[in-house]
Amino acid sequence: MKKLLFIFIMALLCSVAAAQTGGIKATVVSRAGRTAISGVKVSLRQGVVTVADVNTDAEGRFQFDNLPDGSYSLELSSPDFTGTQVNVIVEKGLMRDLMMVTLSPAQQLSDFDESNFTEFDLSDSGYSDAPTILYSANDVFNNIAGYGFSAIRFKNRGYDASSQDVYLAGVYMNDALTGNTPFSLWTGLNEAMRAKDTTVGLESSDFGVGGYNGLTNILAVPSSVRKGWRFSVLSNSALYRLRLMGTYSSGELDNGWSYAFNVSARLGGNDWVKGVYYRSFAFYGGVEKKFGTGHRLALFAFATPGQRGAQNASTQEVYDLMGDNFYNSNWGYQNGKVRNARVRKTFEPVVGLKYSFTPNDDFSANAAVVVRTGKNGYTALDWYDAPDPRPDYYRNLPSFAYMSDDDYERYDSEKAEWMKYAWTQSGSSFDNYKHINWDRLYNVNYNSAGGRSKYVVEERHVDQNEISFAGNFKWMIDRNITLLGGLDAKWNRTENYKVIDDLLGGKYYVNVDQFAERDFASDPIKIQNDLDYYLAHGEAQKLQKGDKYGYDYYAFVQKYDGWLNGSFTSGYFKANLAGKAGYDCFWREGLVRKGLFPDNSLGKSAVKGFFTYTAKASAEYDLLGGHRFALNAGYFNEAPTFTQGFVSPRTRNTLTENLTTKKTFAADFTYQFTNSGYNLRATAFFTDIKDQSDVMSFYDDSQHSFTNFAMTGLGQRHLGVEIGAKAPLPVNGLSVSAALSLGRYVYTGTPHMVQTVDNSAETVRDEDVPYWSSHPIYKIAGYDAYNKPIYDQDAQGNYIITGYQQHFVTSTPQLASEIALNYRGNDYLFIEVNGQYFSNSYLDMNPLYRTTFACSGPDGVLTPAEVENMASQERFSPTFLLNASVGKSWQLAGRKYNLGFSLEAKNLLNNLCVKTGGYEQTRLISSSGRDRYYRFDSKYFYMTGINYMLNIYFKF
Amino acid sequence: MRKFNRVFAASLLLFVSCQSLKEEFEPVFTGEYEQPAAYKKVTMTPTHTIAQLAATYKVGSPYTVQTPMVISGIVSTDDQPGNFYKSFYIQDETGGIEIKIGKNGLYNDYLPGQRIYVDCSDLAIGMYGYKSGNYGGMGMVQVGFRDLSGEYETSYLVAPLLIDSHVFRGEIEGKLTPEVVSFSQLPNGKTATQATNRNVGRLVTLKGLKYADETFVLLYLDSNKNKKLSSNRIFISDGTWGITTWAMSKAKMTEYLKSGIWDNISVGNAGDYNYGKVGDDKYKGDGSYPGIEKAAYSVSQYFRMYDGSSYKEIQIRTSGYSKFADKQIPADVLDGSRSIDVTGILTLYQGSIQFIVNSADDFCYSDTGKSIYAQ
Repeated sequence: MKKLLFIFIMALLCSVAAAQTGGIKATVVSRAGRTAISGVKVSLRQGVVTVADVNTDAEGRFQFDNLPDGSYSLELSSPDFTGTQVNVIVEKGLMRDLMMVTLSPAQQLSDFDESNFTEFDLSDSGYSDAPTILYSANDVFNNIAGYGFSAIRFKNRGYDASSQDVYLAGVYMNDALTGNTPFSLWTGLNEAMRAKDTTVGLESSDFGVGGYNGLTNILAVPSSVRKGWRFSVLSNSALYRLRLMGTYSSGELDNGWSYAFNVSARLGGNDWVKGVYYRSFAFYGGVEKKFGTGHRLALFAFATPGQRGAQNASTQEVYDLMGDNFYNSNWGYQNGKVRNARVRKTFEPVVGLKYSFTPNDDFSANAAVVVRTGKNGYTALDWYDAPDPRPDYYRNLPSFAYMSDDDYERYDSEKAEWMKYAWTQSGSSFDNYKHINWDRLYNVNYNSAGGRSKYVVEERHVDQNEISFAGNFKWMIDRNITLLGGLDAKWNRTENYKVIDDLLGGKYYVNVDQFAERDFASDPIKIQNDLDYYLAHGEAQKLQKGDKYGYDYYAFVQKYDGWLNGSFTSGYFKANLAGKAGYDCFWREGLVRKGLFPDNSLGKSAVKGFFTYTAKASAEYDLLGGHRFALNAGYFNEAPTFTQGFVSPRTRNTLTENLTTKKTFAADFTYQFTNSGYNLRATAFFTDIKDQSDVMSFYDDSQHSFTNFAMTGLGQRHLGVEIGAKAPLPVNGLSVSAALSLGRYVYTGTPHMVQTVDNSAETVRDEDVPYWSSHPIYKIAGYDAYNKPIYDQDAQGNYIITGYQQHFVTSTPQLASEIALNYRGNDYLFIEVNGQYFSNSYLDMNPLYRTTFACSGPDGVLTPAEVENMASQERFSPTFLLNASVGKSWQLAGRKYNLGFSLEAKNLLNNLCVKTGGYEQTRLISSSGRDRYYRFDSKYFYMTGINYMLNIYFKF
Repeated sequence: MRKFNRVFAASLLLFVSCQSLKEEFEPVFTGEYEQPAAYKKVTMTPTHTIAQLAATYKVGSPYTVQTPMVISGIVSTDDQPGNFYKSFYIQDETGGIEIKIGKNGLYNDYLPGQRIYVDCSDLAIGMYGYKSGNYGGMGMVQVGFRDLSGEYETSYLVAPLLIDSHVFRGEIEGKLTPEVVSFSQLPNGKTATQATNRNVGRLVTLKGLKYADETFVLLYLDSNKNKKLSSNRIFISDGTWGITTWAMSKAKMTEYLKSGIWDNISVGNAGDYNYGKVGDDKYKGDGSYPGIEKAAYSVSQYFRMYDGSSYKEIQIRTSGYSKFADKQIPADVLDGSRSIDVTGILTLYQGSIQFIVNSADDFCYSDTGKSIYAQ
């Protein structure tokens, strides 16, 4: 504290006591170790004109003298450090002493792909999943949380991933249908996409007003790619074996041209999850030309073609049988080779054109168009009138034959032993019981009458075509007032369909709806996926590889908005007011006529439109010495997504009832201190979200039917603090950093659901979901002989409620923390050891289990035991993790070449019991007395055990 | 220090690359997969005929086979049209027997016409459908697994390893030709079993059946609730109640219900009609009988096989989940003006003949020999 105070006073003195001629001086130091950096090139520019160039001396010092009053910018560049830019105003002929300008070593440890999260398969759950927090601004908390917390699937402030706005060259890029972050579009292009502007929380940026979970703008233009050649080889044991990457950037040439390219390949499997593999490539190329006075035009294109095998969640019973929490049920042996049934195959090229105009220091404007197209497929097994081929299908598990609780009516302990034996024996003759039995699937097809395949591999496509436009300007009206504004437009047409990927030894597959056939077996019209084909040909289509089948529709989404952002600066005070208004709309266009819904499946649906708006205000006060206080608040009225808008988009045009905009109020308060290697940010935040919607489809045992479940009125409230701090230690080069995110994120309100039968559109339930955000706690009178609670009743026979158990927002630790010890030497060596602690993580909840009918059972009588069993929420155990990393680089041939490596080892304690997510199944089991339901077991994903990542790079 | 750093880094590098390289020897295969070979056909030597196996069973005494016992037979049923479910029958020259596998879509793995060997050791042999007393009689001897719940004499095998280590696939010999069974060859349900009458459990054709103007269906108000409760049951019997199909899909059942022709049927078991009538539920809510579950139901249609003026009742039982459930029985069959020849598995249930067809093609007009559904 003493030291902090000293620095604070020193800073005050320095800014006042300057009686020299106008000028700028500073010492350049390394960010971590505060060691002076010599030989850094410092360019002084006024507007676009370079006034002077100097190099720092041996003590890292530089100085510019005899400068007239005005705004200047300093550009610092060094081959070993990430360059930076500092804006300085020289007034009243004074010498501005910036004290220390810090540079970060260019050798980034965190050389990971943001979208390289294991592809989890949550298709059964109705939920989609996305990577966690994804920016790493110049901020201790974000540096730690953005990378260090990613393995545990931490979500920043508990927010859904779709709340994070991602821009590319100034154009909003979040998925038009789901709102999810689009990082998979440029995964593997780390170098080309490294340069980015980020804001935190509620802050606005130059590219848009933003939401409440930060905004990241990836520059993507060639001039932003680090100059020179750079090659790297990366190996890791948690995801894929090998990554090869090459990058070149020309930097800005004398003739105003710059160009860059970046290519990579990611190949192989990993040590932990069998069947997960990468065979992905990535290409980026761009050219840029500076011309005239302040004009820049950039054209870039990239794509990441490839495929990767996905992982599937299983129940704990399966993991225990296998003795492996990383068991993946998606693969099996085919002729002795591992084959994964679930492979993501993508080729989604993106082309962007960006024009910037900076006529003078006070005004700049940008306009950009980004086009994305291509194919995105995801394979899966499909089967017709044949046994479920999944090895961990619940009927293949011991628990299906035997449960110790008689109420399940599962008495077959001997059959359970047979099943257990098959799961637990090793040897190739048992592989077909633990993994997909491809040989059998082929043999069934070989023997099928007429060569009709009973098992096929399908490929589900979500093929997007999108054109987005963004125009924005920044106008510094005077020294106090800056105005930003822009217009955005997005048109998206996404075709959803599936094709036959592999007939698995058969000759054809038939395009009929087997779920419709369950109810309408004798009605040839109703079972048709493509009724018009049937009517024209007299039979359903016999499908060949590549033929579309099942469903085929366009999702159309359009978004328009305009925004303004005014900031007022006076001295050390800054205030900001921003607003955005827009219109979002979507509709469906069916491309086939479905037998079940001949009048409501082909052609256009109604257009659903929503007016959207955002209002934001902020105030910021910077105190001398590196203190900053900021208060942000915002209100957001956002449109629901296409996926929330349709009850069953695969079959019909029916819109979700009572669909409305999502309303969010958010506020945060930040204190930040940055000085002399000390760095602290503490933010308190509050967010209240109302009127969210969700749609899912699942088989409902109580209805004996596949149903659609549309929920409205979902609410969430997030309250918490995030703190990041970094401080140098007395030993030179040693520093300690820490991050803490502590929140209480809860569900609020009572959502409403409408449940319809998928085959008939008949509404079977239209009621509230009373146990979604909490469930009652009943008074317990005692325990019976089986140690089951006996619940107390009042004189009228009613159970006594003593309180309510709150349900928490799922799929992120609500407490996440890290403390790290860093060493950064002047000889380009760094070492880091960190410990992490996570807790208060909850399993994703299935709303079916929170309905009255699921909790009251087939007899319709609600009892405390049923509510407790059905509605309660699973909390994961807390986790401690230890990680370490080391890196070093060498200058070769007189600084001409640079060779370096970084090695990171994660989960050093090899903790194999860390649940990172999963979901509850939607199935119900009736009790022996038909008086209650039991749950199916939940499915989980685990974090991998000890793993390494080694990156070796060479640049010049 | 500097030197140490170098050595440390180099050794780490070496270690990690060796590990990587070693694992790289097993690269992930992403090319075209070769098609697997066809399964090898098994050949075994049976120790028992089906009749011999059935003869080891004593009524009321299901048992687990402890001695070597292998039977062999050709698959005579097909669960594709949906009238058989979770099991198949095999037959040899001496009789036919149901193998209770417990999986869906069995015809994919055990083809109609395929030779099957069943190693019965450690499996259970028991009877389904036996009833004592004057109105009872024999049921069917089956091969399955011990039923630890005690509800039936045998249970389904279910466990994949249990199935694969006891049920083996041989050559595909071709679909069976049914033998015609005459009136005198019909089993006497009081005494006959697969051990004593070779037609029981086999695929046979019965000729000249005439409609008996009688159906039997058991509906449940809510199948999620206890199905044995009288208050949960509706018997549709003693007459046809307008039912003119082999069975009823969910849609058909709903259609019958809404037509109102069942409104006067009482809810409850015989002698316990204390739960009102079907029609009582009609006017609750929107008039769609909200209290009665709409589901697919099995239907028994009764026919008679004549020998002069005497006859035997033949119950043709069809599942509501079969793909031909809703097919109309032709009017000339229903009004008795034409008789039919039917091919199926001849089974016994409580001493009565229950005849189970594989598909709608198994019904032919006696006079023409052509399918009643021929175009």
